[in-house]
Amino acid sequence: MCGISGRVRYDGRHVGADIVELAAAMRHRGPDSTGFAVYGPARERGYVVRGYLADRQALDSTLQDVATLLAGQGSRLLGEPTWDASGQRHVLFRLEIDELKDLKRWVDDVESLPGTEILSLGRSLEIIKDVGDAREVDAKHGVSELQGTHALSNMRLATESLVSPIASHPFWARPFPDVCIVHNGQLTNYFSWRRRLERDGYRFMSENDSELIAVWNSVQMAAGASLRDSLTASQQELDGVFTYLLGTLDGIGMAKDRWAIKPLAAVDEADGIAIATEEQALRSLYRDEVEILNYDGPLMTETWRREGNPRGAAA
Amino acid sequence: MSALQQAPAAPTTQIKSGDRPLREVNREIREAVAAGQHVEVTEPLSRHNLAVGLTGEGKVTFRGSVGYYCGGLTAGGVIEIDGNSGWGTGEGLSAGHITVNGNAGMSVGAAMRGGTIHVRGNAGPRCGVAQKDGNIVVGGDIGYSTGFMSHGGRIICLGDSKGSVGDSLWQGSVWVAGDIEQLGIDAVAVEPPADEVVEVEELLASLGYAPAERNWKKVVAGKKLWYFEARDAKQWLMI
Repeated sequence: MCGISGRVRYDGRHVGADIVELAAAMRHRGPDSTGFAVYGPARERGYVVRGYLADRQALDSTLQDVATLLAGQGSRLLGEPTWDASGQRHVLFRLEIDELKDLKRWVDDVESLPGTEILSLGRSLEIIKDVGDAREVDAKHGVSELQGTHALSNMRLATESLVSPIASHPFWARPFPDVCIVHNGQLTNYFSWRRRLERDGYRFMSENDSELIAVWNSVQMAAGASLRDSLTASQQELDGVFTYLLGTLDGIGMAKDRWAIKPLAAVDEADGIAIATEEQALRSLYRDEVEILNYDGPLMTETWRREGNPRGAAA
Repeated sequence: MSALQQAPAAPTTQIKSGDRPLREVNREIREAVAAGQHVEVTEPLSRHNLAVGLTGEGKVTFRGSVGYYCGGLTAGGVIEIDGNSGWGTGEGLSAGHITVNGNAGMSVGAAMRGGTIHVRGNAGPRCGVAQKDGNIVVGGDIGYSTGFMSHGGRIICLGDSKGSVGDSLWQGSVWVAGDIEQLGIDAVAVEPPADEVVEVEELLASLGYAPAERNWKKVVAGKKLWYFEARDAKQWLMI
């Protein structure tokens, strides 16, 4: 039932405002929590990190511990950390950090700190997710002020896990920088794939099948598969009903299963791409009549690049 | 005389949908159609559930695309969509006429029991799923699993059919003038009887399609699944 959406802005601006509008138009699909993944200007050096801490009162000491762990990697904070002023018990923080000698080890170490989870890490990717609908989350975290090339969002109707920021989409493909997912559906071979990936050393922070899809694709791409090839392979290897959007540094990919029961529609216009579970959400950005692309067939895949595709050509 | 022919020609009332409360917009549409008026709705903005539950002999024209379930559970009147329509257009229709001048999404006419739905463009997957009666006419192509588990009525496609057409049919039929990519489970394509061809061509003529020599394939139930037994499961690729 969840709603997912995506946006590509070829001018690299206002992508935060647009993705909030797309999410707000699908509030009815899941107002329990809302999450955003925004790809801002990519760094050539260092990473941007978004994190979650369960207890706001432990923020100072946790950030000190994070800085110590950075120093142990020969790295450092670039600028002062920032965090939300929502007053909730949990807090979402943002860091900019220098290069890491062992990225995976640093992530493992940070997430061993009490109540701490890294929501995203990348040259460009920033994940913000919290309880409440799109407007509430935007008010708490200023998503609509973010600039960038592409973005994803998810409106979650909680069914099988907590109403909590860390149970919400998007999920980062830990430990792969800049890869994340939003997903509408469910996998039926989740546990078998999770055991296989865990045997290969991958660690999951949730019991959500969406997190697994993100890691699964990242493993394929790390082994040399193109985004399109990985999406296509997932349709054979992952069992269930699903339509998901995978965010990468270069753009957005989409795959859906053979039953194709989870809807997706898109608009491909000169200024960019808008993608949403429901067409009416697309009309929040394009109020005039536009051509709607319906991805309603079985085993469909698509990729949208941040700089645009040649018209009529698949990436 | 069909509902389409009876409907008042020129719009007498105009309603702006835009961001107004849907309940309010639908109440105005219902009242106008029940009173036999022709109402024109601007800025439908692909919103869901527009013009549901209509009765009477009036008409509503949408100037733009509509979202899910437009005309659902309707029992009379005429709906014209000057654009595309989303999933479940005319779901549960029991009487009346719906025209989509563009393309329609998944499950057009799902579980409809009467009336006519005419899509001038293409219709998405599962068109006429669980249909009980009435006619669905598609000027373009139909998506996969069209007619899935249909119990009655006709689906008429002037273009091509995607895969699994007529899957698990009961007593409905899917007529395809173009190519059939693949028949569904327990579906068979037969040459239609001449008297039924006449009926279909008369219906098409009433919708403005010129007479032509069409290569009709009528897809109906093979009836083997009607009496399914577990020992035959392998035959149906279910295990």
